Amino acid sequence: MGSDYEYSDDDGEYYDDEEMFDGTQDEGDDVDMDNFGDDFKVAGKGKRKSYEVDYDSLSQQAVEKLMQRDVDHICGIFGVDTDTANLLLRHMKWNKERLIEKFMDNATSVLVAAGVAAPEPASPPAPVRTHNNSAPNSSTTRRPTTRGSKLLSLASGSKSAKSPPSTPKPMQRQLSKKQDEPFVCQICFNDAPDLQTLSLGCDHAFCTECWTDYIVSKIRDESEHSIRCMAEGCALVAPDSFIRSVLLPETGADPEKQEFNEKTWSRLQELFVRHFVGCNSSLKFCPYPSCTNTVSCPSAASKSSLTTIVPTVSCGARGIGNSAQDPAQSQQASLGLQGKEHKFCFGCDIESDHRPVICGVARMWLKKCRDDSETANWIKSNTKECSACQSTIEKNGGCNHMTCKKCKHEFCWVCMGPWSEHGTAWYSCNRFDEKTGVDARDAQSRSRASLERYLHYYNRWANHEQSAKLSLDLYAKTEKKMEEMQITSALTWIEVQFMKKAVEEVDKCRMTLKWTYAMAYYLAKGNEKELFEDNQRDLEKAVEDLSELLESQIEAEQIPTLRQQVTNKTVYVQKRNEIVLEDTANGFLEGRWRWNVPVPGFDDPVETA
Amino acid sequence: MDARLRRVNKEISDCKNDKTSQIKIELFDESPFHLKGSFPGPEGTPYEGGLFEVDIVIPDSYPFQPVKMKFITKVYHPNVSSASGAICLDILKDAWSPVLTLKSTLISLQSLLCSPEPNDPQDAEVAKHYMTSKSSFEETATYWTQIYAGGPGPKEKKGKGVGGKGVQDEVAIAGLERAHVDRFETLGFERSKVIDALRRLNYRGPNIAQITDDRVVEELLK
Repeated sequence: MGSDYEYSDDDGEYYDDEEMFDGTQDEGDDVDMDNFGDDFKVAGKGKRKSYEVDYDSLSQQAVEKLMQRDVDHICGIFGVDTDTANLLLRHMKWNKERLIEKFMDNATSVLVAAGVAAPEPASPPAPVRTHNNSAPNSSTTRRPTTRGSKLLSLASGSKSAKSPPSTPKPMQRQLSKKQDEPFVCQICFNDAPDLQTLSLGCDHAFCTECWTDYIVSKIRDESEHSIRCMAEGCALVAPDSFIRSVLLPETGADPEKQEFNEKTWSRLQELFVRHFVGCNSSLKFCPYPSCTNTVSCPSAASKSSLTTIVPTVSCGARGIGNSAQDPAQSQQASLGLQGKEHKFCFGCDIESDHRPVICGVARMWLKKCRDDSETANWIKSNTKECSACQSTIEKNGGCNHMTCKKCKHEFCWVCMGPWSEHGTAWYSCNRFDEKTGVDARDAQSRSRASLERYLHYYNRWANHEQSAKLSLDLYAKTEKKMEEMQITSALTWIEVQFMKKAVEEVDKCRMTLKWTYAMAYYLAKGNEKELFEDNQRDLEKAVEDLSELLESQIEAEQIPTLRQQVTNKTVYVQKRNEIVLEDTANGFLEGRWRWNVPVPGFDDPVETA
Repeated sequence: MDARLRRVNKEISDCKNDKTSQIKIELFDESPFHLKGSFPGPEGTPYEGGLFEVDIVIPDSYPFQPVKMKFITKVYHPNVSSASGAICLDILKDAWSPVLTLKSTLISLQSLLCSPEPNDPQDAEVAKHYMTSKSSFEETATYWTQIYAGGPGPKEKKGKGVGGKGVQDEVAIAGLERAHVDRFETLGFERSKVIDALRRLNYRGPNIAQITDDRVVEELLK
């Protein structure tokens, strides 16, 4: 069953790995994901359509693996530990090439700038630490692994280090005991003798509790992933292992706090991923609330590519949680938006599918709608423009002798001609075909025409948007009908899915139709536009037919016919939609479309005579 | 005890014990989280001799988030709003560090008075005044110190007990020349309006040559 036709969205928007990254990556992009092909589902699929883009959906774990690979690479080249590599990469906004270049040039300065090492003091630092805890500390269980030795060897090996570079100190140090002065934490002024303290390589020691509060406050209140030493003016950044040991100590505190800190830690991981994604132009974070997936779309990474493609992508997740595949729950989910996939545009911030129109034009249209639509209708029905200065005038009473408030032009409201020519025939305009009157009306009708034109497109656009919103109701109704059908006929659950498929198709096509009106509004007149509008008309007709069919009453004996009809229509609608999308997309690739307004990335419109 | 409360209490008592810094921190009411700090104007500046009071609010996440401070005393300074007392200082924002204390922050404010940063202004009009004519700016700042912060006033008049607090010279507060104000007043404009317009136009020092009388009248008629 269901083999009558295929739904392209059923098998997911996953494409072949090979094809995806084939020559589409730009030089600056060093994320090579082929090795991670097995981390996400890649379903083999035929040649992609011209209106689709190659993209891939990555889970947070997958992105973390990509990050880890960069980190490992840097560790290997520089011989540094993971913590250092992480700090260096984050500092350089994950631009590996620049990091390597800079590091080779002057390792010390990069390490200082990244907050890995303290800047070299003028005189060698005194080895005595005055901040140590006086009381013998019984609970020094956490012995940090000694890193930094590797770092030291490499730093001294780098060519530009003239004097011995500052020796990066171990990142974390549980204070050793002794010293005469009792330690007082400079933040909470706690001087308890058994106070546990921590410090970064700079030896600015503070009590563990203050560190915890500080880190939590940075991550939770400020969403900051780069956490500097608390001492004033100290630029050292806390490495991951340090933060982890503070937030998640091995000797667990009370469980409630433990859970809170675990959440803080995972929030930090998300911040790291977001930072990485933000630094890479071929990645984008899913804008849907509480979704942590990332989409990779190298072909849409550059701004210039957005004049030829509409990178509609989906992060792979559906609704909240991935339960939509389960038939029992899908019925619930499909009633609301929860079941919808997270579709968004990779190239701009429109959180839906705005194919076939490109980002720049879509944005322009949305802006125009925000500015114009609310008052446009009223203006159209209640006002006229002054024939001299074109200001919009509302006639709210009185005679036809109008005096424009702005330019003081006197004219007749009926014929729009100048009042001076009315002579003695005041208050009864009989001069309709006088030349000046005709000219004035012409000027006005031109101005009206542009408003009319806009409203023509806007009303259709708004209508499809409205219908798309109503599709939620349609889903619900259809769901009910499907149940009815299962009861009234011998059809099984799987056999009545054609209704749902049809509704989904209608919804999808209405989105396309909606945006075709935005596109048509800006398209320059000509054969190309006519062809575009022909395609648009065919799709619209097909969608309306199918919509009507879905709304019709169901009679038990007609179900087989209905099914036949709906299935046929669905296939037809789908084909028409594809034609519109494909033709438009090809048009962009061929540079066929011409606009009637200047659009960035295109030639300026040629004035048509 | 709550770490924040312990810290604030300690800071207040430390400040009390420290007689050399001349910085005072007092409670407004019972709350230890809304305080009033004060410090004398730094020597060798137009603020010398004045006492400057600062409103201090301690946020919940103190000391991990910076304290909120603003001047109670009116101050004529490029980095302090002449209207609200808001302060533009990096350590009160992103350069805050938890080891900074109320005292050290107040000391930073004190040193901000010594070294204005007119290129990163809080009060653009004052900053313009500073950039146009430093001497005229300093006169005004001294006058403000005298009338708002209890300062001794301009040096030449020292000891004469000028004016007293009741008589405030609007022209001097706005940092303008009496002759200029008088001139436009005789054209038939209200004195307060003239002062307002000239202040907005920064009618001071070398700027005066560049501002035509017509421009002033235009501003006055706005």
